[in-house]
Amino acid sequence: MAWKRVCSVDGFAANAVRKFTVDGVEVVAVNLGGDFRVIPPMCPHMEEPLGESGLYQDGVFTCTKHLWQWDLKTGAKTGVAERDIKMYRTKVEGGELLAFIDKPLEYEYVEE
Amino acid sequence: MTKRGLASVAPEGAPSNNAGFAGGRTTLTYADRLSMKITVQTKAGARTFDCDPNEKLLYAGLRQGLALPYECGTGTCGTCKARTVSGPLKPGWRAAPGRSYLKEDRGEFLLCQETAAGDCTVHVPGHAPAEIASLPRPAYHTGTLGAYARLTSDVVSFTLAVDPGMNFVSGQFAVCAVPGVEGGRAYSMVNDPGQTQTLEFVVKAKPGGKLSEWIFAANRDRTRMRVFGPLGRAVFRPEENKNILCIAGGSGIAGMMSILADAGGAGYFAGHRGHVFFGVRTAADVFYLDRLGAFAAACPGNLEIAVALSEGPAPEALKARHPALRFQTGFVHAVAAAAMAGKYENIVAFVAGPPPMVDGALRMLIMEARLSAKDIRYDKFG
Ligand SMILES: Cc1cc2nc3c(=O)[nH]c(=O)nc-3n(C[C@H](O)[C@H](O)[C@H](O)COP(=O)(O)OP(=O)(O)OC[C@H]3O[C@@H](n4cnc5c(N)ncnc54)[C@H](O)[C@@H]3O)c2cc1C
Ligand code: FES
Ligand code: FES
Repeated sequence: MAWKRVCSVDGFAANAVRKFTVDGVEVVAVNLGGDFRVIPPMCPHMEEPLGESGLYQDGVFTCTKHLWQWDLKTGAKTGVAERDIKMYRTKVEGGELLAFIDKPLEYEYVEE
Repeated sequence: MTKRGLASVAPEGAPSNNAGFAGGRTTLTYADRLSMKITVQTKAGARTFDCDPNEKLLYAGLRQGLALPYECGTGTCGTCKARTVSGPLKPGWRAAPGRSYLKEDRGEFLLCQETAAGDCTVHVPGHAPAEIASLPRPAYHTGTLGAYARLTSDVVSFTLAVDPGMNFVSGQFAVCAVPGVEGGRAYSMVNDPGQTQTLEFVVKAKPGGKLSEWIFAANRDRTRMRVFGPLGRAVFRPEENKNILCIAGGSGIAGMMSILADAGGAGYFAGHRGHVFFGVRTAADVFYLDRLGAFAAACPGNLEIAVALSEGPAPEALKARHPALRFQTGFVHAVAAAAMAGKYENIVAFVAGPPPMVDGALRMLIMEARLSAKDIRYDKFG
């Protein structure tokens, strides 16, 4: 249970969507323009890898597989999305992006 | 019993062992003759429908008015994922690329591939997009091929006389099963929509593709095939009152031709703008330019149609032959991005063609055009 280093914010372009493995946990990090979000690597809809299918623009994160979208400030679903996106807590310290990764955040894909 | 599965109605003269969507069997045992009861559990509640022997669950549900989630209808996209709760399913196409989205050890399967061997209960996690319910209900048709024509070295067009007739909306597609080729193939209707006895299609050969090889081997006029449709929701809705952007790669122009015929015929471009970008590789790969030129000439000023050649500039003679069209060089989504900068107000965008081209265009429409998802409609041809 701890804050963990994801990457350096230096060279992390605004709007970029990047994949990282933090202590064995795969995550996707997004630069909202100085503010960062760290999310699980798979789309909550059908597990498309968001490192490839994810796009960020103007506060909205889109999975290009079926165009589900989220407000990435809050993780709330918008448009046709049916579930919110999960997010790790993040902070930037000394030029490093840190995420609070206790255990991997996961979605239940097989619903009852 | 009426035989409904695309497999169960083999076109005349077809080899009986691989004539349709399910493949394998055409002789029905007594038990097979009874239709099965399929109960679908969704977030909206449970519903039961009938499913014929060898009929894909997706098609059975859709023809009885159930809104089930799907995109390609033919095993590639994974969108129709469901999970067995009880009852025997029969696996369909084992190598379907859409299976990469499944956890088969947890009973997940594709509604568009699997058939039932008895009464079944299945769980469908996804919501079907609401607009599916407002589109014409699909059904099985017998199609008779005609007007077979080669448009380029790797593009063929043909018509299907369909019985019974079909009512479709511009931008929709149908799944066709031809004799001797296992499984169905999705093709977008090219012609004017509405209630019709004739569908028009255009097929671009995929190297090594089974239906591609079949259709290029010979003139296929008078072949009978099974057709299920209409399907798809990348449709034109005039009541939205939007300007239209079409980005098509190769045979992706098919559905756009129907949209242009529909909109042009209704005088839509008198009050709305249309921007069409049709991408192919070289000047030898173009087709439908006379028809596109006629659409543009009929709506001067408001309908702009550009042909993008990715491998180099268009020859002067080609430009001279089609004065109503613009010719540009580059990949079609890049050509569209350059031409459309600053013109995205009140736009609905249609995108169709090979998956990498569609992905490039979707990226452009989200990142540059900043369109919302509800204003982007697409068909990935693969
Ligand atoms: C919505 C949609 C609309 C399309 N519209 C057009 C169009 O207007 N014009 C056009 O040229 N192309 C269109 N396509 C592509 C078309 O459906 C075919 O994929 C393409 O023609 C190649 O077919 P093929 O048989 O030559 O290739 P193949 O590689 O032999 O097969 C291609 C597709 O056929 C299905 N398939 C193959 N084998 C089996 C099997 N054993 N069992 C079940 N299914 C199988 C799968 O869906 C597979 O992706 C569209 C695709 C989609 C999804
Ligand atoms: S998998 Fe991401 S939107 Fe469907
Ligand atoms: S709809 Fe079944 S895999 Fe695409």
